[in-house]
Amino acid sequence: MQGRPAPGEVGLASIFAIVGVVWIAGAARMTIWDGGFAPDSGFLPLIYGILLTALSAITVVSLFWGDAAADAGAIAKPLLVLAAVLVAVIGLSVAGFGIAIFLMLLFLYAVVEKLPVVRSLLAAAGTTAVLYVVFKTWLGVPLPIGPLGI
Amino acid sequence: MDPFVDLMQGFAAALTPKYLLVCFVGVLLGQIVGVLPGIGPSAAIALLLPLTYNSDPTAAIIMFAGVYYGAQYGGTLTSVLISVPGESSTVMTTVDGYQMALQGRGGVALGIAAIGSFIAGTLGTLGLMLLAPPLAKAALAFGPPEYFALVVLGLTALAAVGSSVMKGLTTGVAGLLLGTIGIDPQNGIARFDYGQIWLLDGVEFIVLTVALFGVGEVLASCTLGVLRPIVNIGSPFPTREDWRASRMPILRGSIIGFLIGVLPAAGATIASFISYIVEKRCAKDPSRFGRGAIEGVAGPESSNNAASAGAMVPMFALGVPGSGTTAVMLGALIMFGLRPGPEMFVQNSGLVWAVIASMYIGNVLLLIMNLPLAGVFARLLKVPYYWLYPPILALCVAGVYSQDNSIQDCWLLVAFGALGWMMKRYDWPAAPMILGLVLGPLFEENLRRAMDMSHGSGLIFVSRPISSLLLAAALLTLTVPALLAFLRDRRALAQA
Repeated sequence: MQGRPAPGEVGLASIFAIVGVVWIAGAARMTIWDGGFAPDSGFLPLIYGILLTALSAITVVSLFWGDAAADAGAIAKPLLVLAAVLVAVIGLSVAGFGIAIFLMLLFLYAVVEKLPVVRSLLAAAGTTAVLYVVFKTWLGVPLPIGPLGI
Repeated sequence: MDPFVDLMQGFAAALTPKYLLVCFVGVLLGQIVGVLPGIGPSAAIALLLPLTYNSDPTAAIIMFAGVYYGAQYGGTLTSVLISVPGESSTVMTTVDGYQMALQGRGGVALGIAAIGSFIAGTLGTLGLMLLAPPLAKAALAFGPPEYFALVVLGLTALAAVGSSVMKGLTTGVAGLLLGTIGIDPQNGIARFDYGQIWLLDGVEFIVLTVALFGVGEVLASCTLGVLRPIVNIGSPFPTREDWRASRMPILRGSIIGFLIGVLPAAGATIASFISYIVEKRCAKDPSRFGRGAIEGVAGPESSNNAASAGAMVPMFALGVPGSGTTAVMLGALIMFGLRPGPEMFVQNSGLVWAVIASMYIGNVLLLIMNLPLAGVFARLLKVPYYWLYPPILALCVAGVYSQDNSIQDCWLLVAFGALGWMMKRYDWPAAPMILGLVLGPLFEENLRRAMDMSHGSGLIFVSRPISSLLLAAALLTLTVPALLAFLRDRRALAQA
C-alpha cells in the first residue's frame, strides 16, 4: 500500500458499488432465464450489477495501491452552486419557471460571485427573459407557471 | 452509388440557405466554446440537444458536427495566446504555440493552425467520404452477434481512452445499467421503476448528457480563477519560410490524424500527441521544439482536425463513436429515431452526405473566420467564467424540463449533475456512461437475438469470424494500455 486515496473518490466508487448491489438485488427478483434460448429480463441487470460492484471494488483497491491523491480543489463553492440549482428545481413547481430561474441567477451572481447588485439584477433578468422567450414563445414549451403568471 | 455523385447531392442540400445557416451557427458556436473555459464541444452539443429536439435531424447533425470541428479551431486560440488548452486535443499546441506568441508570432501560429486545420479537415472529410461507404457496405452483412460485438468494442475502446481503464469500464457499465431502467422492450416487464410511473420510460439520454456534461462541468469549473494576460497577436499570415517549414507537418498530421481518428475512441487528443512526436523525430534540429517551432503547431493542429473527420467514419459506418463528442452525437442520432451504423448509408444517405458536404463548407467558413478574425475571438478570452456559468445552468434546467415537460427529469438533472461533478473532479470519464445508456438497448436486443439464433449457445460470438475479430479487438483495447502501463512502471522502477 503506497498512500491514502482522496476520500471523495473512494466515496464515488462506493456509490457505484452500492448501485451495483441494488441492481443485483432487484434482478434476483426477476426471471433470469425462463428455459428458452435467450436470457430473460433479469439476466443483464444481474450481470451489470455484478460487474459494477466488482469493477468499483477493484477501483477502490487500486486507489489504495496507487500514489496518494490529494482531494484537490474547493468544494464549498460547487456545493453552494449545486444547492442553488436544487432550490431552483424545487421552486419550479412552487414559484414558476420565471421566478425560480431569476432568483437562482441572482443568487449565483450577487451572493456566490459577489458581483454588483445592479449588474447581477440586469444579468439575471436578461437571461431569464431570453430563456423564457426561447422556450415558451419560440419552442412552445409549457413552462411551469407561478403565482405571478410566469 | 458513386460517392462523388452522392457528395454532389449532399452539396445540393448543404448549400441551401437553411443548412448553410445552421453550419455557420455550428462552427461559430464551436469556435466560441473552444475559446471559452469550462465548456467543451460535448457540453455544447448536450446543451443544444433540447433546442433541436423535434427539429430536422439533418440540420441538427450539421450543427453538432460544426460545433465539434469548430471547437478544435477555438481551442487553438487559448493554447497559443494564454497557454491554456481550450480542448485536450490542443495540449501539444500549447508547447510551441505559446512560445511563438511570446516571441510576437502568435498571429502566425494561429494562422498556420487555421490553414493546417483547413487542409487537414478537408483531407479528413475526403477520407471520410471514401472510407465510410465501403466500410458501411461491408458491415451490412452484420448479424446480431456482430452488432453485439460492435457494442462491446465501442464501450471498451471508449473506456480505455481515459486516465484509467478501470474507471472507464465502471462508468460504461453504469451507463448500461441505467439503460435497464423502464419497460423491457422484449416482454413488457417494468424494471427498476420502484413504482414511479415517470421511470417507466427509463432515463432519457438528454437528461444524463446535460447533467454530466453541462451541470457536472460547470460545478467542476466554477472555481476557475482569472485567466492569464493575453499576449499580442500580430499578423496571422505566415511568411514563405513559415509555409515551407509547415507543408510536410500539415500533410503528415492530416494522415496521422485521420488514421487515428478512424480507430474507435482513439480521438483527436492521441492524434495530436503522436503528430507532435513524429514532427520532433522528423526535424533536423529537434532542440527547437518547445521553443517556438512552427512545425510543433502545424502538425498537431492538422492532426486534431483530421481526427475529428476520421472519428465520424466509425460513427456513421458502424455506429461506434470515435470520441467522447461523437458518442454524444451518436446518442443524438438515436434520439432523432435514426439508427447509426451501416444502414444509415442506405436509409438516411441524404442526411449523411449533407453532413459530409457541410463539413467541407464548415472548414472554409472556419478558415475565413480564423485568419482575419482571430483578434476578435481572442477578446472572448477576457469574459470571466463567473458571468458565463449561471446562464449555462439555467439553460440546463430549462432544456431538460422542456424535453418532456417533467419536473422529475430536473430532479435527475441535479442528482446526475452532482455525480458528473464528482466524476470530473476525480477524472472518471463521462462519455462511456453516455454510450452505455445509448447502446444498452441495442446490446440487449442483439444478445437475445444472437442467443435465439444459436439455440442458446454463447459460442456464436466466437465462431463467426467478424464477431470474433471485433471481440478480440475489444480485448486488445483493454489489455494493451494495461500492458503498456505495466512495462512503463517496470522501466521506471529499473531506472530508479
